[in-house]
Amino acid sequence: MHLHKYEKIWLTFGIGSLLVFLIVLGIGAFYQGTQPPSCLVTIDPQNVQAHESFKEESLGLQKVGENEYVVNVLASAFQYNLGKDDKGSPVRTIRIPKGANVTFQATTTDVVHGFQIAGTNVNMMLEPGYISDFETTLDNPGEYTILCNEYCGIGQHTMSAVLEVYEP
Amino acid sequence: MSNQPSVKQSSAHGVNESKQTDEEPNLKGTFASVMILGAFIIVSWISVFILYMYR
Repeated sequence: MHLHKYEKIWLTFGIGSLLVFLIVLGIGAFYQGTQPPSCLVTIDPQNVQAHESFKEESLGLQKVGENEYVVNVLASAFQYNLGKDDKGSPVRTIRIPKGANVTFQATTTDVVHGFQIAGTNVNMMLEPGYISDFETTLDNPGEYTILCNEYCGIGQHTMSAVLEVYEP
Repeated sequence: MSNQPSVKQSSAHGVNESKQTDEEPNLKGTFASVMILGAFIIVSWISVFILYMYR
């Protein structure tokens, strides 16, 4: 089979790039253990309180170690339940020190919701029956909007909360 | 081509084939577009990766 000189170059280039991208993908998946945020951890959506992380008192920001936090979030149309503050009113803002290791754990009781912290890599889909989690370190101080980016109904645009990353 | 044409066809066919191999098509433009597209894909990939690492 005769191949033009240029064809040989771009075929080598194309197959080479494909190999590079597949190797990058393989390293991410098998060596670094990258998983999608929802990875087969299930929960009963009718009775989320039965799960330790989603009991009324476990919701919101929890300090689990030195510079280590867990944020448990229960999403439902059209709000994020981040627990209650000392006065008993719902928490709308969570504050996390810069550089802390944070795991966001979330699920939904009704329909599919989104959980995105705009301007960060935290972006996951919340499906009824599954727990989604995302571990991250927030290094840039500032105020971030948490929002639902999956259409969940007529009040979707009101579904938001605030994350504040402060200098410790 | 590895398949040898039969004796009868060779006269008409052979002329055509030798013409094709003598004059190679000009693929300079195609080559440039393929490389520009490749560069665009790689630059986009690297920028998204940098954005991901920075956030």
